[in-house]
Amino acid sequence: MSQAATATVNEEKLWGGGRSPFNVSYGKMMMWFFLMSDAFTFGALLISYGTTRFFSAAWPDANQVFRAFPFLGNNLPLLFVSLMTFILIMSSVTMVLAVHAGHYGDKKNVAKWMLWTIVGGIAFLACQAWEWTHMHGEIGSLWGAFTDVNTPISKYADFFSEKKTTAEALALHGRQAAHDFFNYFFTITGFHGGHVFSGVCFNIMILINTVNGTYERRGHYEMVEKIGLYWHFVDLVWVFVFTCFYLL
Amino acid sequence: MSQHHSNNIQELYEGDQSKLYSGIMAHHTDINSTESKGQVKKIWRVFWILLVITVIEVIMGMFFSHNMPKALVNFFFLALTLLKAGYIVSVFMHLGDEFKNFLITMMIPLTLFIWFIIAFLADGGFWLHMNSHVRAGMH
Repeated sequence: MSQAATATVNEEKLWGGGRSPFNVSYGKMMMWFFLMSDAFTFGALLISYGTTRFFSAAWPDANQVFRAFPFLGNNLPLLFVSLMTFILIMSSVTMVLAVHAGHYGDKKNVAKWMLWTIVGGIAFLACQAWEWTHMHGEIGSLWGAFTDVNTPISKYADFFSEKKTTAEALALHGRQAAHDFFNYFFTITGFHGGHVFSGVCFNIMILINTVNGTYERRGHYEMVEKIGLYWHFVDLVWVFVFTCFYLL
Repeated sequence: MSQHHSNNIQELYEGDQSKLYSGIMAHHTDINSTESKGQVKKIWRVFWILLVITVIEVIMGMFFSHNMPKALVNFFFLALTLLKAGYIVSVFMHLGDEFKNFLITMMIPLTLFIWFIIAFLADGGFWLHMNSHVRAGMH
């Protein structure tokens, strides 16, 4: 608030040159612009998924499709993906703590929290790998397939949303809807997983630079802040993926 | 040629941008100060809020969403999702701490999503309507 108030008072000075009117560095602003464009990419994918769902007469029920948990059984809808969500939120917290330590030039704590963030990212990727492997075992393929062509589609009725899918719609459109659902599921969670993976790589680079004292010599830890923006954005996307695929 | 003889390689490559801005990066020294501890406390508070919202969503999805009107469930989930997104962007990404001009600059393009979502979902719904209608007419 106080910053915003100062901005109004000194508006002419702000735009008079010689300083950043937005009070951000070039790199940080470009990271924000990149994230905005990435938001539209993810938005396009999710809205495309929504459009397909709206024009389908049948649709699978995510609660019935994703209900397995390692070692605990096969009738626990939402539980495993909740764990994944928890891991990602947690790693977002450790990231923001690293950024915080960076603001204070505290090298030791930056390194510590970056390390935990990397651990969280890897744990999330491991969970996703398990989920994909499990889906592969259950449905026989990743993209495209879900139903066995030799089994009547009515055998899969359990997997479909009761509210949306009538028996007639299931017979006519069930197979196509299942294909659409899994194509979008693996494309979008895969694209998100790719972001998590590259985020982990960036985080490792930042950790190495931190430990080597690169940012200490530079006098600021802004790189931690920029990568932190990226990492939080990945968490943000997951919030929407979670809602679109598992809740709605 | 002469500028390549600078002793400070770091400065040559990174540039000293600190005179151009003085954001939340600046003027902090003591991580054990009251201000710092307050910020850390705020971060953990937001963590608990996000966790509680997620737990509410999961409980809803597990036990209640099948017995409630679909529109109400969707409204509930979307409202909670936007609430979570707001906390992440404003606190974790520090957008709430930036200049208001910057915040507005980032938010305006995102309003395109309002059109984007309404237009495409409506199109999908209309397609389903036409498809069922035409098919019914053919029988």
